[in-house]
Amino acid sequence: MKINLEILSASYLFGEKEVANLNTKELVPAMILRRRLTRASKLIIELMANVDFKEGRIIYGTSFGELLATSNILNAILENDILSPTDFQNSVYNTAVSYASILFKNTSEILTISSGEETSLKVLKVGAIKALDEDEILLVCCETLNINNIEEVNHCIDFLESAVALKVKISKEKATINFENIQNNSYPKAIEHILHIAKNFKNDTKNIIEVEI
Amino acid sequence: MKITNKVYINYFDSISCAGNDSSELFESICNKKDTIFIDSIYVKEKVVAIGKISKNEDLKDILLKRCEKLLEQSKLENFSKTLLVVGSSVGGMNETEKVFFQNKDYKKINYKKHPIDAIAYYLKEKFSFYDDVSFSTACTSSANALGYAKEVISKGIYENVLVIGIDTLSYTTVCGFSALSVLSSKPCTPFDKNREGMNVSEGFGILLLQNQKKENSIELCGVGYSSDAHHMTQPHPDGLGAKRAMENALKDSNLTINDITYINAHGTGTHANDFSELNGINSLFIDKKPKVSSTKSITGHTLGAAGAIEAIISCMVLQKQIVPSNKGLEEIEIEGINYSMETISTKVNYVLSNSFAFGGNNTSLIFGLAK
Repeated sequence: MKINLEILSASYLFGEKEVANLNTKELVPAMILRRRLTRASKLIIELMANVDFKEGRIIYGTSFGELLATSNILNAILENDILSPTDFQNSVYNTAVSYASILFKNTSEILTISSGEETSLKVLKVGAIKALDEDEILLVCCETLNINNIEEVNHCIDFLESAVALKVKISKEKATINFENIQNNSYPKAIEHILHIAKNFKNDTKNIIEVEI
Repeated sequence: MKITNKVYINYFDSISCAGNDSSELFESICNKKDTIFIDSIYVKEKVVAIGKISKNEDLKDILLKRCEKLLEQSKLENFSKTLLVVGSSVGGMNETEKVFFQNKDYKKINYKKHPIDAIAYYLKEKFSFYDDVSFSTACTSSANALGYAKEVISKGIYENVLVIGIDTLSYTTVCGFSALSVLSSKPCTPFDKNREGMNVSEGFGILLLQNQKKENSIELCGVGYSSDAHHMTQPHPDGLGAKRAMENALKDSNLTINDITYINAHGTGTHANDFSELNGINSLFIDKKPKVSSTKSITGHTLGAAGAIEAIISCMVLQKQIVPSNKGLEEIEIEGINYSMETISTKVNYVLSNSFAFGGNNTSLIFGLAK
């Protein structure tokens, strides 16, 4: 089965260590919320502002989830330190989109997918199936790998922070962007499909993809 | 898109501290067996009650054997035409912990065996599936997996979907919930005024969902989702998100509140969950009050596996026409709820099962006898 999606808006961010110049202070005026945000939460909120999506269904993908909170917990347990409750609440994979839902008062269905190196491909598939209901959906993926000693396990990813968002709806038109020649070797493989689409998105034309289920 | 196909649960299996299979699980629930035990290993200088499976074998290895058993008993030749949907909160975390605590660095952590996808990765070494996807929305993970399974069968995209909800005990989760001060030092007593908190536990639930009805099929009639948009760990005190998820599930199943006989509550045993969920139920079920119980006093809270295990309990409630009671509920704090105080045989038409999670992620599922 094939489902075509129109990409209504696209945005992506990446940085070797961190994405710089985020507008978090303006986007999240309440300090009590802002100070709890993880890096992934800040990136997702930035992307949602960029693609103008505040309310509606969201399909979020992350292969490694909240790596900094997870590593803080592991190190606290190893060192017999006090474990931070904030680190624990921020360690679940759906943290980033949950903070975004709190910020934007979005009470819609929000799913989080974590399917290893195929995470963004699965986000596209699940998103396409959801889009059959004919609403506008946000597909968003993020990896935040900038933790101490990440080089012990990371030997191939140059951009430790990367995030991509697509606002999509169902379409019957022919595909204009295909999945051939995906070349995103410096990024996590988990975002390669969705990043390829965002990089090929053109503002002055219709952008259609065909998702094979 | 017009939804036409009905969705049937044609096979299920489980393991938890409440039993090595689903029959033992339901027997433990009906007989209020003691299944949660005191542990002083996971949290330093603190005693907490946890739910541990009795088998001294890796949960993933047990899962492999149970999937083989499913193939034998379900008459599927293989999984080549089956979508695998995994729901898990921690994935391969206990594997990561073993390596990290031993070596004190990340060097030997296998990046494919650490994340949520570790479960699917492990299964795919043995079986070939048509496709797979893993959901991780904390404690709603496998409820969301079931919801997605219903959606893809309803829409005619797949005929067979294997849903696995699984989570193992890990230092991260036990110590993490301890840091949030929500763990009980005794078996949890959801809805009781003198509750202490929750019990983290481990286990898995396996369900095969198909578009064809078989003998003893249970229908997954509806799914409802919502987000609280309120707080990362505290559910909305009035249960607004919980109510919306239940309303959406009723709408999806074309049922009304009058059709629901029993609610298998999320019922973790924490003060915040009890108040939110019961306020949500009270505000929705005004005239008709279905029986309500939490089975987590027997299973513990299996986190990402809870939705799948409680879906199996809901199936067995329908198959056996038995409504389980609330173990440990002695002093009611919130009035207006039709608490199930004794396990009773009664006519059960539809069961609603609630799952709620960090981030205000809410999912309600409705099950019924297949017609």
